[in-house]
Amino acid sequence: MEWAWLIPVFSFVAFPLIVLFGKPLPGKGAPIAILAIGGGFVLFWVALLGYLNVVPGVNNCFTSSATGVFTCDYRISWFHAGLPGLEDSVELAWGMIIDPLALVMLGMVTFVALMVQIYSLGYMKGDPRFSWYYAYHALFAAAMLTLALADNFLLLYVAWELVGVCSYLLIGFWYERPAARNAAKKAFIVTRLGDVGMLLGILLLWREVGSFSMLDAFEAAHNGVLNQGAATAAGLLLFLGAMGKSAQFPFHVWLPDAMEGPTPVSALIHAATMVAAGVYLVARAYPIFMASGDALLVVAVIGLITALLASTIALASTDLKRILAYSTISHLGLMMLSLGALGYTAALFHLMAHGFSKALLFLGAGSVLHSTEEQDIRNMGGLRKPMPLTAFLFSLGALSLGGIPILAGFWSKDEVLSAVSHNMNPIFIVLALFTALLSALYMARAMFVVFFGPARTHGHRHSHPIHDAQLSMAAPMLLLGVLAAGFGLISFNWPGSYQGIGSFLFFKEHEGFHITWWIAIVSTLLALAAFFAAYLVYVRQRISLEGARTAFAPLIRVVENKYYMDHLYQWLVDRVVLVASAAIALVDRAVVNDVGVNGPAEVVGRVGIAMRRHVTGHLYSYALVMTLGLIGLAIFWWLRAG
Amino acid sequence: MAPLVYFQILSAALFVIGLYGVLARRSAVLVVMSIELMLNAVNINLIAAASHLEGQGRFLNFDGHIIAIFVITIAAAEIGLALAIILRMYRNRATVDVDEINLMKW
Repeated sequence: MEWAWLIPVFSFVAFPLIVLFGKPLPGKGAPIAILAIGGGFVLFWVALLGYLNVVPGVNNCFTSSATGVFTCDYRISWFHAGLPGLEDSVELAWGMIIDPLALVMLGMVTFVALMVQIYSLGYMKGDPRFSWYYAYHALFAAAMLTLALADNFLLLYVAWELVGVCSYLLIGFWYERPAARNAAKKAFIVTRLGDVGMLLGILLLWREVGSFSMLDAFEAAHNGVLNQGAATAAGLLLFLGAMGKSAQFPFHVWLPDAMEGPTPVSALIHAATMVAAGVYLVARAYPIFMASGDALLVVAVIGLITALLASTIALASTDLKRILAYSTISHLGLMMLSLGALGYTAALFHLMAHGFSKALLFLGAGSVLHSTEEQDIRNMGGLRKPMPLTAFLFSLGALSLGGIPILAGFWSKDEVLSAVSHNMNPIFIVLALFTALLSALYMARAMFVVFFGPARTHGHRHSHPIHDAQLSMAAPMLLLGVLAAGFGLISFNWPGSYQGIGSFLFFKEHEGFHITWWIAIVSTLLALAAFFAAYLVYVRQRISLEGARTAFAPLIRVVENKYYMDHLYQWLVDRVVLVASAAIALVDRAVVNDVGVNGPAEVVGRVGIAMRRHVTGHLYSYALVMTLGLIGLAIFWWLRAG
Repeated sequence: MAPLVYFQILSAALFVIGLYGVLARRSAVLVVMSIELMLNAVNINLIAAASHLEGQGRFLNFDGHIIAIFVITIAAAEIGLALAIILRMYRNRATVDVDEINLMKW
């Protein structure tokens, strides 16, 4: 388990190898990336088994009092500032933390990254920058795994920014397209806005705790060294970073635009891993949020707003990938809501279940896109016939996320709703159930329109026939499909020693498997109703939505315009940010530059010009001044002596 | 021996003549000569004061003499340098009129 740090190192090594030597190699360097992440996946199992079998008290492992879980911490000193041992000396460390949370992220990231990288072999075939694509993927995997392993906030921040850069590079991968360039910039800038808050939060923690180490910070939050006010401030600032990365309202605008990147990238980065980093951060810093309490409420409220907002937009969207993107935002909101509602296990369980299902959906969407070169669901339909495997797997993912029982999404969503109903105001559970209904509706809509509705061949620009996914694309989808279908089963108690996921992944105390019956029944009914209604509307076409469309036309227009958030931000930038910066620039030029810097220079220059008149160049005038000066001095001395 | 004040009057007269020469003459050579006059005025003053002290019975005080010899030495060096400059000036500009030589200004 001490060797778990090798998991990201493989991919870190793969990155320069692919950049430098990738192109002439067979497979253009892709096998290097896949081997690296595959090695990471194997090592993850080694680390997991090591963790499960290790005994307390040895090997840097102990049961943390702040989180209540068995934690292993390995670190090496990076450098000292100041003399070691002195009170104000600072030690920075590289370190990794191994606990259930980190292991869950490691497993999820290595597995999904491996699947997506294999899938990309087929999807990105023939791309002129194929090697670069895999190089970015390797770098991303390395950064994301470092993020999951980091035991101090500084290292976490570095990895955090690194995944942001990879996201930027991969969104803008097809930078010939202006939309991709703009989306990449937007994603980077919007997430950076949140990251500023996160950095401030880390610095605040450092000031209060005196260390970047997470374990120290959690210990301080646990035993009250970090007072409630500081914990609230630090928690909210960290949450700002999480909001940026996890596309929470009001920073959600970048994620739909990020769909300009290649679809496997959307599956990996913008559905399963990087956007989940925000949820991971909140879960990781949970002791701080618990010490604050108020911060947790903010997390819940933001999560709920995001979930509602995004699921309504998903319902009005017509772009297949954007529907999935808004669905991702909505589910991330649900995870945040769950964390805010003390549903720690539920949130992370949903993170995994959603990650697998959504990665599957994106890969399915990628398969459709790859084959039809069409992204607008209004031009699709009846694709079940030409691509049955994709249709089956996509439907599996959609049903899972829609919350149909036995599939993974049902169990995790139920856990989330159950946590919300136990610990929050009733209004939260009502709205959360409404979100669940909407989530089933948009999933049903996407699935039925694309695969089951009447075939709409008009608008097909391609000449070759529509084909199903090839092996390299189908195999990863199949594996993800197995997980999307069966992953929920890990949540129960099984005969034998396994006590359900709550006994492995928990905060403070074990959580047994519990199901709140009325919620399970209501959410199942809602999901079934949603799928049935969508079936009637989009497949049977028994119900026409035209009446509703005209009745709610203004509302629909608002939703279709994404609540005018993009317009608002554009207006804000144009009218407020640019105007303010013009004013500040004016102050800079007029006050700082003209008065402060050029002013003294001007004064000195003018005085010099005025004073140089006495320098006539005539010898006698100099001599006269010398004489007069001498006489003056003589008189002075004479008077003084007398 | 004549009273000290005679020497001082002579010295002052000589100094003022020299000063007038420096301020009023236009030929650089005459300016330098006037400076020499002023230096000699100082020398007379120094020697006079020194011998006056000697006359009062304070022997073994050679301060005035020593400084006078310093002044003479330095004046010799100075005049050599000044004449060299004036010579170069004449070579370059064909004049030694200090009114004409006014490049050292803003």
